[in-house]
Amino acid sequence: MRGVEVRLDGDLVLRSLTMQVGRGERFVVVGPSGAGKTTLLRAIAGFVTPDRGEISVAGRGATALPPEKRDAVYMHQTPVLFPHLTVFENVAFPLRVRRVPAGEVRERAGAALDAMLMGEFGNRIPRTLSGGQRHRVALARAIVARPALLLLDEPFSALDPALKRDIRVALLAAHAQYDPGSVVVTHDFGDAAGIADRIGVLIGGELVQVAPPAELFARPASLAIARFLSIANEICGLADGAGNFSSPLGNLPVANGVPAGAAVAVFSPAAVRIGQEGGTMARVLEVYIHPQYTTLKLKIAGETVEAACPLGSSFTIGGETTVVLDRASVAVFPLSMAERDNKTV
Amino acid sequence: MKASRSGPRVGLTLVLAIGALLPLALLVALSVSVEWFYPTLLPGRWSSANWDFLGRGSEVIFSSLWTSVALALCAGVVSSIAGLFAGREIARLDGWRRRLAVALAFLPVAVPPLALSIGLQYSLLRAGLGGRFVGVMVAHIVPALGYTTLFFVGIFAVFDWRVEQEARSLGANPFDVLRRVTLPLLRRPLVEAFALGFLVSWAQVPLTLLIGQGLVNTLPLELMSYVNAGQDHLAATAGLVLTIPPLALLVVAGLAVRRLRVVIA
Repeated sequence: MRGVEVRLDGDLVLRSLTMQVGRGERFVVVGPSGAGKTTLLRAIAGFVTPDRGEISVAGRGATALPPEKRDAVYMHQTPVLFPHLTVFENVAFPLRVRRVPAGEVRERAGAALDAMLMGEFGNRIPRTLSGGQRHRVALARAIVARPALLLLDEPFSALDPALKRDIRVALLAAHAQYDPGSVVVTHDFGDAAGIADRIGVLIGGELVQVAPPAELFARPASLAIARFLSIANEICGLADGAGNFSSPLGNLPVANGVPAGAAVAVFSPAAVRIGQEGGTMARVLEVYIHPQYTTLKLKIAGETVEAACPLGSSFTIGGETTVVLDRASVAVFPLSMAERDNKTV
Repeated sequence: MKASRSGPRVGLTLVLAIGALLPLALLVALSVSVEWFYPTLLPGRWSSANWDFLGRGSEVIFSSLWTSVALALCAGVVSSIAGLFAGREIARLDGWRRRLAVALAFLPVAVPPLALSIGLQYSLLRAGLGGRFVGVMVAHIVPALGYTTLFFVGIFAVFDWRVEQEARSLGANPFDVLRRVTLPLLRRPLVEAFALGFLVSWAQVPLTLLIGQGLVNTLPLELMSYVNAGQDHLAATAGLVLTIPPLALLVVAGLAVRRLRVVIA
């Protein structure tokens, strides 16, 4: 997409959007509700016509092409299977409309169903399938004609963890089949980080940052992005304009040229190392056990900070420990009065 | 709770059944009797004379019957297909455009049949279609199309358009979407719309009279001639014959739609 603008009912939903997704790449778009994520997917799919800009798919100009000619398959948030067709005929549908010979249809549709572990369900009708099975059939149908691009709109939304895992596995299996590009929209950062090669943050119709997951969470490009990503810790302090930031947690070097004045250091719980020698003293206020890690709420020099540590670590509320901040994982931003008071995007 | 609800339900069903069947029972009684005068509750004499009379004039009766069937079949087919496309396009509008389109579709239904007939008569006669089967067919289609269009506006109001988007995204052009997705999903409503168009045409009198100009004779017109002549028993007998094809259609359509699951999506 190059300079794509989309207006809906007079409102500018996508603002001069430029992005590129490579072959085999899984590009995940995250953003708050109303940011334009679904509109972005629908513009690529051809259901929404951009007011400006160009879209190309697999090197071919697609802006003026109807959806059926774009070599991109759009999958709705809830799987939309054809209720009057069997599972097999649903998956065979893209091949039949391309007039693929019957023998080849049987072979390719069967292979696509097998890849999604749905080979035995060919004669069933969609309303007899569970939610996860419907997702897998929809994916099999999406990949059977080998489109260059898969467009998935909130594929993990409102699913339990087991089903999310199924969908993630199915999506990776689809990539293993023939390596399409994928653009996946989600509002869940955990889901995004689990499958993304790169994550694009869409806020107010603009892609404000595009980076691999680790880089995005470690180095958000702005305070707004950090807050949207719910990077948990914010410590206010003062920047001297010469590359230094002083806070209750100590002095930190500032790499991004923050001007002198009020500033905020933002870092994730993973940037706080627990039990390090020579670290700052911290008192344990609360302990949260998660399935795969433990979160601690700590009091350090008057500031409340969240830290993450491996599951099985033993801490008592009211106890003390030492902490060291991984300075490479701390981002410092200038802080206006409005930003200090407004904790949301 | 179940017991207290079933009583009124049974009562209501009985009332509706009596309301539907009583007129038919009266027609049957009239058709197999002669000399039934007020205030007697039952006919004075039972007789098959009315049926005998219709049988003697069976050529005219059957001719008008087949003309009615042919007109109704044509009206049913054309109005159901055209109504589907018209209803689909109207359902995709919104705001004042949709309200205006629905109002226009409703006009042939709302306008009194006689007024509609006079309006159509002028244009169809000028087109040289007066007194011809085709002219009467076109005239029947007008009100039938109004009903079927409104029927499909309702159907498409609850239609999941995502199935069409999904089909197009999977590579189907608009014709393939219609053929492989939309029409199969709407088989049952199509059968129902055909039945509706058929019945609207079947009962037509003013349109047939004015456009047909006496040269296109249908069974309702035959019935009217007996009514105008004050021959109640013959009119009742012809009326029973008039009810047979639509009842047969309703039975056939009912069996057909029972096999077609409602899968509007």
